[in-house]
Amino acid sequence: MNNSMKKEGPDQDLRSLLKSQHKRVYSICRFFANNYREHQKLFADIISAASQNIRFRRGSESKQVLLLRACVNMAALHSICLDMQPDTDRSIQFKSPDYQKNMVQFRSRMGEVSDYEKMRLFLGFQNTSEIGIEDLTGPLPSKVVSSEGVKKNFIPYLKAKLIWS
Amino acid sequence: MELKNLQESWDSFPEVSMEERPVLSSDLEKIVVKNPLSDAFYLKNKIRIRIVAGSLLLLYNIYRLRMLYKYGGPGMDQQVILFFLLSYFVYFHVRLLLFADYPALLGLRLMPFLQKIETILDKYVFSFGILSILSGFYTLTLFGKVFYFSRGGSSLLLDNGIYIWLIIIFLSVSYYILFLHTLIPKYKKLLAAVRKYKAGIGALPQKK
Repeated sequence: MNNSMKKEGPDQDLRSLLKSQHKRVYSICRFFANNYREHQKLFADIISAASQNIRFRRGSESKQVLLLRACVNMAALHSICLDMQPDTDRSIQFKSPDYQKNMVQFRSRMGEVSDYEKMRLFLGFQNTSEIGIEDLTGPLPSKVVSSEGVKKNFIPYLKAKLIWS
Repeated sequence: MELKNLQESWDSFPEVSMEERPVLSSDLEKIVVKNPLSDAFYLKNKIRIRIVAGSLLLLYNIYRLRMLYKYGGPGMDQQVILFFLLSYFVYFHVRLLLFADYPALLGLRLMPFLQKIETILDKYVFSFGILSILSGFYTLTLFGKVFYFSRGGSSLLLDNGIYIWLIIIFLSVSYYILFLHTLIPKYKKLLAAVRKYKAGIGALPQKK
């Protein structure tokens, strides 16, 4: 019995964490999902990504950070998939009238902002002062050396070819 | 965008709604075992299948090389090149699988995560080149067997050195063109979308 309790322990913790943090996951869906179907799919994807991150975690990252990274990464993949379907209807369509009204108001107040700004807003609304945006996104492309610059020098180019980054 | 207005709007979301209902334990059980990555982003199974197939072909190739070394016969040069190609094919895919590290992939920060997805897709697209050369070799072997049996034991096709290499090149290029028009576009489109997103993440979205 003790063994079975031990086996259930971490998984039980994970489930409790995911259940208690579901509001946080729904929060990012407000920024990226345009309809009920997308909203539910993104929510399920983030939950499963967070569960995978926490179960296979390496290093010293906290569960909160891994959950937020799952939110941000899955939201980015969601945006990429949407960009690949230019004909998709992007109008806001939710089932409950209150939610629909709030979403329309929220999106109109937010206006056209980049995904990075959406992620920053999401983090701001979460009141997690100990977690910075760089903990979730890493350095932006403007801070990363471009591959064109690397090609000018043979050795770094060869290194880039041999060592995948 | 005024932050105060936005915060006000954020706070006015209903506490309970159909869209944001608490997750049930039974639903959670199903969700946590689901793979979060969609088919196009998740190449683990495809890479695994290639590694197994490549390893089996490599074993058969080693056996054939041993037989040729012991008893002699035509096609030694072909088998040696095939050995190096298969070894590289298996090595490349094992390296790709280890690099991708799918269980920990979603735990990365966004930019390294997108960079890794980009590299995986880029290398996967490249692997179709090796696959087309191997397909060229094995299609020729198949043709050779068909000729061998249909002509009652004489394999003229496999005895003619220059033509063999020409046929292999022709078949490899044909296979690559076939892949280029069937399987590769899906991954190239995805790769382009990831690159575009990565480059424009901080920029304002274009109005559609």
